[in-house]
Amino acid sequence: MRGSVQAIRAVELRKRYGDILAVDGVSIAVEPGEILGLLGPNGAGKTTTVEMIEGLRQPDAGTVHVLGHDLRTDLPAVRQRIGVQLQTTALFPRLTVREVLELFRTFYAGDTASSGELIELLGLAEKAGSLTRTLSGGQAQRLSVALALVNRPELVFMDEPTTGLDPQARRALWDTIRGVRRRGATILLTTHYMEEAEELCDRVAIMDGGRVIAAGPPARLVDRHFRETAIEVPAGGDELHGVPGVERVQREGCGMTLYSSDTGATLGALTGMAADGRADIDGLHVRRPTLEDVFLRLTGRHIRD
Amino acid sequence: MTPVLHLYVASQKTFLRDRMALFWTLAFPVLFILLFGVIFSGSGQDPVAVGVVRPGGAAGAPDPVLAALGSIPALEVRAGTRDDLMERLDAGDLRVVVNAPPTLAADVAGGREAEVEVIFDPTSAAARQIAVPVIGAALRELDGVIRRRPALITTRFTTVTADRLRTIDFLVPGILAMALMQLGLFGTAAPLVQLRERQVLRRLGATPLPRSALLLSQLLHRLTIALAQVVIIVAVGRLVFGVEIGDRVGLLAVFCVLGALTFVSLGYLIAALSRTEESVFGITSVLNFPMMFLSGIFFPLETMPDWIRPVVQAIPLTYLGDALRQTMVGAPPVHALGLDALVLGIWLAAAAALSVRLFRWE
Repeated sequence: MRGSVQAIRAVELRKRYGDILAVDGVSIAVEPGEILGLLGPNGAGKTTTVEMIEGLRQPDAGTVHVLGHDLRTDLPAVRQRIGVQLQTTALFPRLTVREVLELFRTFYAGDTASSGELIELLGLAEKAGSLTRTLSGGQAQRLSVALALVNRPELVFMDEPTTGLDPQARRALWDTIRGVRRRGATILLTTHYMEEAEELCDRVAIMDGGRVIAAGPPARLVDRHFRETAIEVPAGGDELHGVPGVERVQREGCGMTLYSSDTGATLGALTGMAADGRADIDGLHVRRPTLEDVFLRLTGRHIRD
Repeated sequence: MTPVLHLYVASQKTFLRDRMALFWTLAFPVLFILLFGVIFSGSGQDPVAVGVVRPGGAAGAPDPVLAALGSIPALEVRAGTRDDLMERLDAGDLRVVVNAPPTLAADVAGGREAEVEVIFDPTSAAARQIAVPVIGAALRELDGVIRRRPALITTRFTTVTADRLRTIDFLVPGILAMALMQLGLFGTAAPLVQLRERQVLRRLGATPLPRSALLLSQLLHRLTIALAQVVIIVAVGRLVFGVEIGDRVGLLAVFCVLGALTFVSLGYLIAALSRTEESVFGITSVLNFPMMFLSGIFFPLETMPDWIRPVVQAIPLTYLGDALRQTMVGAPPVHALGLDALVLGIWLAAAAALSVRLFRWE
């Protein structure tokens, strides 16, 4: 019964590079059909963690089971059933899109998707006969996703799949990824776009300093850490300390973000201060907290710093 | 086997679509042959230009000196006034000027001494080594003829085109050796490091493709290019410069394959030792030049100073060049073919073993 087998079960993974403990006891479980987002800044250990789960890197300690197989003994079987998308822009620069897809099909033993089907799915029809070196960043990114789907994988790894795409292309790729999941695949994706994680992922795991510091469905993670509303005051300064209802303040460049547990009281006070000329609230923006705010609270840093 | 075949085809397509790679591996050696062929063709074979002074210039009564020198095939004799000929000697059009007094025949016949002035440029090897001795001999003979005391020994000049190797015959196998070496250095190491740096090896590592399949396809691809190089270079040598291939074609093929394998293995080793595309370029360039100039593929080994001999003796290209010369144009051996094969084999085994140990896939 495959349905009962976890797609990924990684336990207490550790990896050290010289003096740096890149991954420090990470455990991840992914259920079949789930999209799990691994979030974190560069250097958080995301890539190393994913590479150990993909079998590209040997962990110093810990065990990995993928689709029920122990990686230490069944790596070849696992590779037949997983798809890996890497941010390699020019894999074979002088082959055409169709040629690269056809080449990858020869690497797999079982049923594979036709190149035409993948070209259609990723919207690469007009570039099918072009050398991959002539692709734009977004097209190359979509080709790398197509290559991850060649063997109709049950589990797909995606490494920041929408990096470098414009908002419209990003949304189109999100639809494609949801389509892949609808066909029954499980997806583990790394990203540093909080919005992507909130849009796409059933669950997220936030990594920092080689550890998972929080995990859960995006909305619940936000709820767990914030009951407050975020109020951004672009031109705010120290005068905003002590405004009624504000639990925490966070400097944002030359402005402030106020986290308020009583939105009405805080906004009333701010309006009053603005009327008296004691505060400048031009561009004031009230919003629900996001994963970005969660990360900021947990680490004291922005995810893209 | 299918993935090997498809990777092989993919590599061939990539190569054929890469104009720079095509130029450096196929066109560049041909340009080398054409260039050297033009520079060296006919050198040392032209007759030496000699001027003979006649007071009246080219016209006038028969001149015994002019007649004596004119019959020697190694010389190309022109007559003229002294000033005119000296000017042409200065300009380098003439190598030697012979100035005999106009009264020479009468003086000698009358038993009086006569002096013949021979003016030449001592930096010209042709003048120093060929023209001046020949002119001296011809004048002594003339002395006997004029005094009607025929010498008992006379000289008869007969020319025969010797069946010896020309410079171009030495060069074509040398350039073939160079091309095979550069296929290994530039055509193997850099593309491999690129595959690694651009994460292609990593991406392929996430598929079921065995590493051996990738290596095998790359090896077959490079051997195909080597074959193309051999065919093109041999054809250009033969069609343009008439460099004939001897009857040891089988041995020639063996050494071409052995040479290609040796240098492709060295390419893999360099790729194993290089971290970045820049460093691979540095290492290959540093190896390329000493190999080219210390291996004797262009310059004879006798001209090298003694202290550099150990380097010469260690370089694999020395042995490949020697073997290709022997098997292609029948050049006299520097080393026995067995020794050439042994040294190349040792380099091949060492480079292959080391690169298997040291090569990093990421």
